[in-house]
Amino acid sequence: MNVSPTEAEEALAAIQTIAQKTRHTIASGGTHISLIVTGIIWLAGFMSAQFLSGEIVIYLWIGLSLLGSILATGLNIRLSKRVHNLSASATAKRIGLIWLLLAVYCVAAIAVASPLDGKQLTVFIVLFVMLGYLSTGLLLSFSSVWPGLTIIALMLIGYFLFPGIFYLWMAILGGGGMIALGLYIRYRW
Amino acid sequence: MASLVTLENGNEVDFTYLRDLLEVTDGNLGAHLRKLEEAGYIAVNKTFVERKPRTYVSATAEGRKVFQEHVVALEAILKSK
Repeated sequence: MNVSPTEAEEALAAIQTIAQKTRHTIASGGTHISLIVTGIIWLAGFMSAQFLSGEIVIYLWIGLSLLGSILATGLNIRLSKRVHNLSASATAKRIGLIWLLLAVYCVAAIAVASPLDGKQLTVFIVLFVMLGYLSTGLLLSFSSVWPGLTIIALMLIGYFLFPGIFYLWMAILGGGGMIALGLYIRYRW
Repeated sequence: MASLVTLENGNEVDFTYLRDLLEVTDGNLGAHLRKLEEAGYIAVNKTFVERKPRTYVSATAEGRKVFQEHVVALEAILKSK
């Protein structure tokens, strides 16, 4: 290849710029919005669990979860039109089956273990959701497991070391962490 | 090619989305993609989504390998500077 060092440097810089732009644009297509929305839901839900009491917290969580599910579905549909996986239908079936089995397993495990309080129930549910996230994430890419592992680690630290402020801990580090990661992907990645 | 190899293996991107991303014209991108397809570096998949025709483009294994070799060669030139 008859290329001068200056030309090689320019070519590498152009490749780097395009690769970064592609990552950035694809992230702009949904990942960062999904993280920010989930982060806001966690922030609001766990804050309410820390400072409010009674049935209002349950209804708030149900409402927020439904809102999050609708937004996530909309975003995924939008993103799948731009970039889609060649083996998407087979993968989608496997992902759906994993979530279905996990939901059944989660209900069965909670029924048998009978968590004593809201904190234990929260940890149970989040552990199952994160197990689903990690399992399905691994079908798509290895890099997607890190946010899930971080959330599990933060949750366990909060549960065992700071039980008095567990919900506040989850709101700020779990919800806030997701918002920060979403903003990082949007503006820096 | 740099854009296509950035995608996860097995992912394909919509032609119009790629055109907007690279800020090029339909004709310009089409000509580039045709050459890359002829060389076996990319695969073009013409399909219908919600009854509208769509063209999806992806990097082949050969394309990814050759592109990686190209980047390594460019880096080698820089190191020998």
